[in-house]
Amino acid sequence: MDLGKLARHAGEWLRGTGADSDIVISCRIRLARNVPDFPFTARCTAAQKTELAEILSEKVLDADIGEGAEYLPLDNLEEVDCLFLVARHLISKDHAEAEGAHGVAFDIRETTSVMINEEDHLRIQAFRSGFHLEDTWAAIDALDNRISERTEYAFSERLGYLTACPPNIGTGMRASVMLHLPALGMTKQIEQVVQAVQKMGLVVRGLYGEGTQASGSLYQISNQRTLGKSEMEIVENISSTVPTIMTMERKTRRALMDRSRDKLEDKIWRSLGLLRSARVVSSGETLEHLSHLRLGVNLRLVDRLDSATVNQLFILTLPAHLQKIEGRVLEPTQRDVVRANFIRETLGEQ
Amino acid sequence: MLCENCKERPATFHVVEITDGEKREVHLCEQCARDKKVALPPSLSLNEILSSLMEAHAEKDVPELSDVACPDCGMTYAEFRRTGRLGCQRDYAIFEKALLPFLEKIQGATNHKGKTPRRATQDTGQATELLRLRRELNDAIASERYEEAAKLRDSIRALREGQ
Ligand SMILES: [Zn+2]
Ligand SMILES: [Zn+2]
Repeated sequence: MDLGKLARHAGEWLRGTGADSDIVISCRIRLARNVPDFPFTARCTAAQKTELAEILSEKVLDADIGEGAEYLPLDNLEEVDCLFLVARHLISKDHAEAEGAHGVAFDIRETTSVMINEEDHLRIQAFRSGFHLEDTWAAIDALDNRISERTEYAFSERLGYLTACPPNIGTGMRASVMLHLPALGMTKQIEQVVQAVQKMGLVVRGLYGEGTQASGSLYQISNQRTLGKSEMEIVENISSTVPTIMTMERKTRRALMDRSRDKLEDKIWRSLGLLRSARVVSSGETLEHLSHLRLGVNLRLVDRLDSATVNQLFILTLPAHLQKIEGRVLEPTQRDVVRANFIRETLGEQ
Repeated sequence: MLCENCKERPATFHVVEITDGEKREVHLCEQCARDKKVALPPSLSLNEILSSLMEAHAEKDVPELSDVACPDCGMTYAEFRRTGRLGCQRDYAIFEKALLPFLEKIQGATNHKGKTPRRATQDTGQATELLRLRRELNDAIASERYEEAAKLRDSIRALREGQ
């Protein structure tokens, strides 16, 4: 797999299309699975990990995870490449840092990824752009069935899919929806929304689990519990919560347009001007201005850009991607220059 | 760990700040976190939240389990409480007495509802046998008993092919 080629585009979850894509960036579901005759990964010997990686990578590819799918061993991959895969959500941070034989299989469109020898033997993930959580579930459910026709899973009638950590047991499922909520952020209503969502048994995090300010108003909402609720119930709980949040965000956007359109337009155009002109720009600053820009595109205040371009910039301007595009390790100061160049190229310099 | 800001109270908020594309961990107490408005949304990783829950909720003393270790992977209840991780699938049965109340607390349930695999473990006896053989194989290799290791490897292969 040529990672350099991937670096110039963004995968399925950043296409910026699909239902409600003015607010919902993407849906993701992951399933944790283990095979019975090996201990969980952390307790495997080096030889067992090698054996598992060999057996499972073959079975996973045989189960057809999508067009152009390949297995990429990560044990000897450069750190730059691992961080790149983390930024694209194809692997987790823990997986990037794992020891012994481990790897990831994914298709060329990046709709599916299967991590091998993560905390669990298998971590299956499916991605969809826009608000299509049911479709995402249908896809991963079918893939999970195909894999389980080829290998046994550690499973108990009472506790369901047995996982290395009890917080994942049962369905082994984590479903999440990534939302862009700039208006709720600007009007400082986001904290109440977060608290309300948490009361529904859901978890709210930033783009990569970081704090509010740095994340460009991107939030991930996911289920906390995995046991005692069926996969469909978990999907429905999230699916019925998200529209309420969307309505609040849209109402707030409209209110901003009605009451302070001049200020809002000014903010958005200043961000576009900054991104089109800057020669040195940090990733925190980039996220903040891209968030304004995305809002501007969705409110049709900025008509020369599409949301896919803006969506992709969220990811392509991360250090991991810039380094990949440049093909070398960059010092932080160099990065900010390369980032500024890349953004100007993409947005069309003024 | 003490709060970086006041250096008085224990740090319970571990926030990743991104400045100039560089990630840095900041450790704050609840009060300082609130003052700095970094508390929302929870910026802990999900795993961190869950493992701190684990510490707080895992049954403290289960006398019957204090001397028990899993014959397959060697996991003890004390180690599970420390790491929040189990060693192999059999541990769920071995530590069931402590795990069920723990699951009730963190999951609000102790019974799976949802799909079942196409090919669940049909014969757990065989899976356990394989696990045991692999463990013995590792021990044999570690103590350089190669003849025994070769025999064990053959047994494992035979058992796998018989599946
Ligand atoms: Zn403090
Ligand atoms: Zn065990």
